[in-house]
Amino acid sequence: MGKQYEIPMGAQHISLLEPLHFKFTTENEKIIDATANVFYVHRGIEQACCSKFKFRQVSFVVGRVCGLCSISHSTAYSQVAEKLVKIEIPRRAKYLRMLVIELDRIHSHLLCLSHVAENSGFEALFMKTMQYREFSMELLEAVCGNRIQYDFSIVGGVARDLKPQVGQLILERLKKFKSQLDELVDIYQNNWTLSLKNKRAGAINREDAIRLNVAGPFARAAGLAVDVRNETEDLLPWKEVGFEIVTDSAGDVHARNMVRLHELFVSIRIIENIINGLPESALVTETKAFPDGEAAVRLEAPRGELFYYAKGNKTQILERLKIKAPTFSNVAAMVEAFKGNEYGSIPAIVASYDPCLSCTSR
Amino acid sequence: MKKSSKMKTFFKTLGNLFKKPVTTKYPFEQTYIPDDYRGMIGFDEKLCIWCRRCEMVCPPGAIVFSQDMEGKQTYHFNRAVCIYCTECVRACPKEGAIYQTAEPAKYALKEENINKVWNSLFEEALKSRAAYAFKKKRLAADKIAIKKPGDEK
Repeated sequence: MGKQYEIPMGAQHISLLEPLHFKFTTENEKIIDATANVFYVHRGIEQACCSKFKFRQVSFVVGRVCGLCSISHSTAYSQVAEKLVKIEIPRRAKYLRMLVIELDRIHSHLLCLSHVAENSGFEALFMKTMQYREFSMELLEAVCGNRIQYDFSIVGGVARDLKPQVGQLILERLKKFKSQLDELVDIYQNNWTLSLKNKRAGAINREDAIRLNVAGPFARAAGLAVDVRNETEDLLPWKEVGFEIVTDSAGDVHARNMVRLHELFVSIRIIENIINGLPESALVTETKAFPDGEAAVRLEAPRGELFYYAKGNKTQILERLKIKAPTFSNVAAMVEAFKGNEYGSIPAIVASYDPCLSCTSR
Repeated sequence: MKKSSKMKTFFKTLGNLFKKPVTTKYPFEQTYIPDDYRGMIGFDEKLCIWCRRCEMVCPPGAIVFSQDMEGKQTYHFNRAVCIYCTECVRACPKEGAIYQTAEPAKYALKEENINKVWNSLFEEALKSRAAYAFKKKRLAADKIAIKKPGDEK
């Protein structure tokens, strides 16, 4: 038995993208225990949504919860508010929401992949992935008018229409991106240097994933087929636009990379199907009703299942809004997956979790 | 497979040394801006019907109307508080009174002291409206008071 050392990491650290604190107990460079503290960026958004802002304005406030999955938050809130005021949104609005969610997924997954490469010490791949990611940001700007903070979903529908020339632009760019994505898959799958840091690092098995209630690509990499897009059909018709679940069995960093990359192929297919078969209808369902009763909504954000609960009391201001972000479900498994790994592989493992703590602590 | 992929990456990295950078030199070259970029909010005083609906829907409170004692309203807009969500344009009942342009908003300078100036302006605007409403109410009450003795006679 060697001597045990406690090594803290965070809340500010060169390899962490967000304020997150870990305390590792190590023995001969091997991690035997870890604890996590994640609530560093509490901003009081839930309270602001229930006191200061009217229910129609809240969809813009919750869009600021997260910079990466802004559209997932505002769509999930819009859906829960539509349940409270009891309206059905037009078909075209549903398709446009799915389009922006999938474009957002492309840029979020590529960001995560690039950070895994960077934290594994592969700076050139980080640059390459970021270079290929740029097209998705420009497409989002063309569709929503802004690179981040899309403000696209509003209560009752969507804020902007998709112009035919923008649709053509998206198809052209996606065609170009497909070959680039093949190149990225080749590098992430076969590169020997990257595999030294990624294969068998941060592994979690299927039983632990079920026990610890993991969500998103983290769970799918461990062989657990959980995806809200696969389970619900009532709010957004995912199956209609060609959704297929992607899973892997290894559960390590490499498997998570592969799940993310193969999900991009699914996203590309969904976007192409949406643009080729976009139905004609109005964009917004108008209503003068006030929110009443309770409702809950689940939506698949890039990082996993996003959960919204809202309660109205027939006034402009909501009585309660609860946001459960995907990273919150993953914290327990994050700590578990560290055990048994070398201390040096921590940065790559943390990046592969894709933690979004601004979402989690709101 | 392993070896060939290793060498492929190596030669690609070498080749990249002689390529042009993919980034744009931003202040000298303009970056990509789409035609319907969410830029500055414009206001047309001639078309406005002064319903204040844009002020009511604005999420961050970047629009406020002040009112003088004659009842004339003035539009105030803060480009640093605005989130450019276009909610005011959607809410406007008169088309063209408030509109969005593709021109990006100018950054706020420290010298402008925009938050402090805006906060005091916002409060003053609300006060001026309350003062006008109070005056109107008092005038109406006076009218009733003047009329009433006449009616009795």
